[in-house]
This record gives sequence, C-alpha cells and structure tokens, in this order.
Amino acid sequence: MTAGTMMHLAVSPMLYPSPQDASDFRSLASFAQKAEAAGLDMVLLADSAPAADADTRNQQIPFEATTVLAALATVTSRIGLVAAASTVAHQPYNLARRFASLDIISHGRAGWNATVVQNSREAGNLSRPEGFSAADFRRRTEEYIGIVQGLWRGWDADALLFDKVGGHFHDPGKMHLLDHKGEFFSVRGPLNVARSPQDTPVLVLSDVSEADRDMAARTADVILLDGPVGEAKARHDDLKRRVAVCGRDPDAVKLLLSVGADVTADTLDASFRSKSCDGFNIAMPPSALEGFFDRVLPELRRRGLVPQDYRGTTLRAHLGLAGGDQ
Amino acid sequence: MTRQMKLGAFLWATGHHIAAWRHPKAHVTAGIDIDHSIQLARTAEAAKFDMIFCEDAAGLREANVGIASQTSRSIGFEPISLLSALAVQTSRIGLVSTASTSYNEPYGLARTFLSLDRLSGGRAGWNLVTSASPIEAANFGATGLKPHADRYERAREFAEVVTGLWQGGSFLGHDGQSFSVRDPLDLPRSPQGAPVMVQAGASDVGRDLAARTADVVFTAAQTLEEAKAFYDDLKGRMAAYGREPNDIKIMPGVSPVVAETEAEAREKHEELQALIPDDVGVALLSSYLSISDLHRYPIDGPMPELPETEGMKSRQALVVEQSRRDGLSIRQLARHFAGARGHWRIVGTPAQIADELQARFEGGGADGFNVMPSYFPGELDAFATLVVPELQRRGLFRREYEGSTLREHLGLKRPT
Repeated sequence: MTAGTMMHLAVSPMLYPSPQDASDFRSLASFAQKAEAAGLDMVLLADSAPAADADTRNQQIPFEATTVLAALATVTSRIGLVAAASTVAHQPYNLARRFASLDIISHGRAGWNATVVQNSREAGNLSRPEGFSAADFRRRTEEYIGIVQGLWRGWDADALLFDKVGGHFHDPGKMHLLDHKGEFFSVRGPLNVARSPQDTPVLVLSDVSEADRDMAARTADVILLDGPVGEAKARHDDLKRRVAVCGRDPDAVKLLLSVGADVTADTLDASFRSKSCDGFNIAMPPSALEGFFDRVLPELRRRGLVPQDYRGTTLRAHLGLAGGDQ
Repeated sequence: MTRQMKLGAFLWATGHHIAAWRHPKAHVTAGIDIDHSIQLARTAEAAKFDMIFCEDAAGLREANVGIASQTSRSIGFEPISLLSALAVQTSRIGLVSTASTSYNEPYGLARTFLSLDRLSGGRAGWNLVTSASPIEAANFGATGLKPHADRYERAREFAEVVTGLWQGGSFLGHDGQSFSVRDPLDLPRSPQGAPVMVQAGASDVGRDLAARTADVVFTAAQTLEEAKAFYDDLKGRMAAYGREPNDIKIMPGVSPVVAETEAEAREKHEELQALIPDDVGVALLSSYLSISDLHRYPIDGPMPELPETEGMKSRQALVVEQSRRDGLSIRQLARHFAGARGHWRIVGTPAQIADELQARFEGGGADGFNVMPSYFPGELDAFATLVVPELQRRGLFRREYEGSTLREHLGLKRPT
C-alpha cells in the first residue's frame, strides 16, 4: 500500500485531575509515550476553557494545552502533538508565535486544533460578555486563521545564516512582513520565531458546521469529523469535493473520524475502506489504551491498514502532508 | 541564618551582549535549539540559582531590518512554551517569564501561568510588563503606543484580576474598566499558593504598582547610590499597601564578565566589545531611548538633549545620566550600553565580582541579582563554576535548595 492509502490514527487522552500535580503530568506523559511506541500519528490535547460548557470535555486535561504540549515534546521524539487553543482567548500574533515555538521545541511535531465554535462562557471570561454574532464570528475565525498561517510563513526555511565572521545572522530578504489589515485584526509581523522543520504547524479544525465547511476546505490540514460513523461518508465526500473546488489536492486535507475507545478493528476497517475518512481520532481514557494497542492495532497492522513504523520525523510526514524536507 | 542573596539566571538567546552571537564560543543556534536551553537550565539549577528568567517582546526588537539582521534577536523561543518544556526537564529551579498586560487578557494569562506552575510543581512566576515598543503595538492592531499612564492603569487592573483568579474558588468575578471575568479558573490551585509576581517598571507609577502587587522587582542600577535610592524608595512605598519590606525581593540586573585573572576578564570583555558594529550599537541605544534619529548625530560627539518619551521614562533618564557623568560620546555610550543594555556590568576575577555583589547586597542596594551572562553557555558556566562557589564560601548564597517551590527559594509568604 502507498503512504496515501494508509489509515491515520490520533488519540485524545481523557484524563481526570488528581490532587497530585506531578502525577497528572506523569500520566499524560506515559499516555503519549505509549501512543508513540504504538506508532500513532498524533495525540490531540483538549483545552479545558473552550469547552467549559460541556462538563465531560472540560475534564480531559488538567492543564492549559499549549504548556503541556511543550512539556510532552521533551519526553517524546516521534509522535505528533496537537493542542487546542481558542481564537478568543489569544491574540492571533501570540497564538501563532506560541505554536511556531512549540513546533521548533518538538522538532516539527506540533499542531494547532482550532475550534470554530463560539463558546459563550469563554467570552464572558475574556472581557467579551456580548460575544460575537455567528456571522461575525465566522468571518473573524477565517481572518484569524489566515493571519496565523501567514505569520507562520514569515521566515523562509533558509533565512538563518549564522555567519559569525561576516556579522550576518539572517538574510533580511528572507524575512517577510505580513502587513495584514483586515476587518477584525491588523497585524504587521513578522513573528520573532524561526521557520520550523515542517515549515508550519499542522492546522486541525474541529466542530466544523456545514456553514464552516468551505472555510475548513480552504485552510485546514486535518478536519475532525464528529457524529455517527454511518453518516461519515456523505460528509467526507462533500468536504473532499469542496477541497478540490478551492484548488487544493483532496489528499492535502485529512479527515479523521472521531470514535470511542470501544471501537473494533472491523468497524475502523469498514469505514476506511468505504472511503468515509482518512483515519480516526480515538477518545481514550488511559485505562483503555493498552487494550486498544494489544487488540485493535495489531489487527489493523495485520490487514496492512496502518504502517509498521513512523515514516519520517515530522507530524506532516506522519500525515502524508507536504511541508519541510520530507 | 544570615541573610543570603537571591540569584536569577537571565536567559536570552545567544547572550545579553549584543554581539554575543558572533563570539567564537557562543552557541549561535540557541534560538532554535531546545536542548541548549535545557542544558542552560540544568547548569543554573546545579548552581542553585533561585530562578531562570526570560524577558519577552511580542515582535522584533529592531525596526531597521538591516540592523536586525546583524543581531541574533529577531528569532527565539516564545518564553511560555520554552519554560513549559524546561519545567519537566528540571526539578527545583524557579521559572519566570515576562508577559504583557497590553496584549493579553487576564483570564488567559492567569490560566497559562497557573498551568506552568502546576507542570513545575510550584516553580512559576510572571514578570508583568506593559510593553513600550511600537513594533509590538503594530502586531496587535494598535495604531500607536498608548500613553504611559493608560498602560499602567490597565496593568494595575490586570494584576488585580490575575491575583484574584489565582486565589481559586473564592474569586467572585470582575467587571472593570478594561476587563470583565465571570468565573474562577478551571484548574486546581497553585502548589505554591500562587505563582510569583515579578515586575520591572521603575517609573513612579511603576514603583507604586510594584509596591502594591510584586513579590520580586528587577531593576537597572549602575551605582550603589542609585541602587540604594531605588531600594529605599520602593520598600518605603509598601507600608501604604499593608506590606512588609521583606515581602518584595529587589534584584538588580548584573552583567558580569568573569575569569580567573583580571587581565583575562578584561581581555574577554574587549573581545566582545570589538564585535559590535557601530550601526548596531547606535540602533540598540536609540531603541532603548525610544528615539529614532540618534544616528543623525555625530557618532563621536556627545549625546543630544532628549525629550521625555512615552516609552521607557526611567531607562532613558538612567542612560542619559550615565553619558553625562562619564563624558561619553555616542559611540562610546552605544558600545558600553550594548554590552549590558543599561544594566550594571562588572569585569573581574571571581573574588572581585563577589566583592562587588556583596557590597551592593550588604550596602542596602539589593536582595539579590538577576545575572545576565554576556554569551551562552560560556559566561553562565563561568558564573556558576567561579562566582557561585565564592559566594557560597562567604555564606552569601545557598549550597542546597531549602524548599521545593519558587516562593520557598525566595523566602516569600504563601498567599492566603
């Protein structure tokens, strides 16, 4: 099988805060290390604040997600690490910068999960009690994502010269201003963080409504699909069509279907072979991890659906996306 | 126990000297090499430093792209992500990052620092800045810098909200001039009660804010007299807010160049100074003075008279005063300033450096120092292996960590 037809697998840890802070991180680190040993593409880290309305998701990670991503990057070496971060909680410059930095810390394994749904509780804690209208929020989100992706491309990959004798640290011609002036934001740039080994962090979009599908098709690297497995095929085909319509290779956007930890190899196999998705995002309590790795994953490998090992070093390489050297 | 000094290891890219990156032994790829930062943190921890300190700006340091390309400061790690990585690669040392009150929301910032605090087992601190750079402002939709007083009023409210949020479930919400926050944070409370609050503003309004809310204050002071005047003034303001003088640790920046002999130390310093291009030195000086046309004056002439700016009032006064005192030309001041960015520089043997630090510490000018090595890793290693043992021999610095949290290292009360 070629790389393009392999199934992509992500896991979302479902942790519960314990009174011991250190043990929180240790259990998360152990989770990520096991997922890495199993050769999964990436771990998706939820952020509690954006989902504060929903009790269960609020309890997934007892840390702010970008901080824990940085920490996990130092105790893993291959697996992709994706953190949720809200477009309301962060200014786009700060968010782009945080993730660019995470991408360098992790040697090209970072991704940003942008939720495209407004959360009223969050807005109330961020000096915006009135929130945004749905239409404004949609336009704002797309503008925001464009700024972040633009800032990530501010430095060419070969901009740094490190020429001590000549006194040229970087080539000023390879550093680019963004000079964005839009409806909601004006951002000059550039970032003060270098280009990462995978060029730009992976953009993962979740909670994409029908009205957001075109925007997702234009901007995303990965889209997480919620909802019944049986309805995935129609959404998959619609999204891939939209990706093609905006001039992108349909394979440049990976669609991962969100499933529970009790899923079977047969179910995953059937969904994948019917081209309902490019892979899966499995919501997983630590207690279920080993069962999945011992029973489901070996079966998927036996069927040739999941690669035996990592093919490259960056998250883009794992996902079969363009970017970086690979 | 005798009073001991507090020490911060101020990490910054390739080093604090503007030409640090050109030094043959400087680690030139520091801004993209996380393993290098981890190694520096471990060096500082092995030497029992109280904390690692990261400065920050959300934008380039220098508007002139030609000048910027001759320095290493246009790229580096974003400090919260850097310190989060260091948190799990160290076990005792404090981790302090700068973050701006002008370009963040208090809820998000309080939550992020609390998360860092939990990851590190109670070792995090926040250095509050209001951001004086127009380059930063342009990254946040602002058409220009807000007036100094407005920035500080926002900062005061910001600090009040953050402090309240760190108190956990007792937070009752906030509805103020600049910010509104409805809920307490959705994370468990800090292992050290609350992250440590650090400030550096030295203007009158900055000092009042520090006297009211800071646990640690960083300053720039060239002489013992300046240091002592600041120290007495700040500690004198605290009673008005119901605080005791010991509730704040004042830690001036110091940029040492140390070697076994004085001649070697001077040679090392000259080697660095010779690496500064004139246009870079003048540009750096201009940027810290918040003026754009310093390059139009004769480089071998005296500093011109300068209007008071909305940028860094206190720093400007310090720099101009120094040039007048020492009769320096623009070129001389630029070189001198570039080395330590207006902070106190001492060049000498371990004993000479320890003498100078001891005199400031015992003379009422400091509770400790924020050490700004001129280049990494060499000058941090030199301080750790040469100066720290000398300070320990004199009983001026710890041989082992006494506690596990940053508050414990600094001897600060746990907030109630």
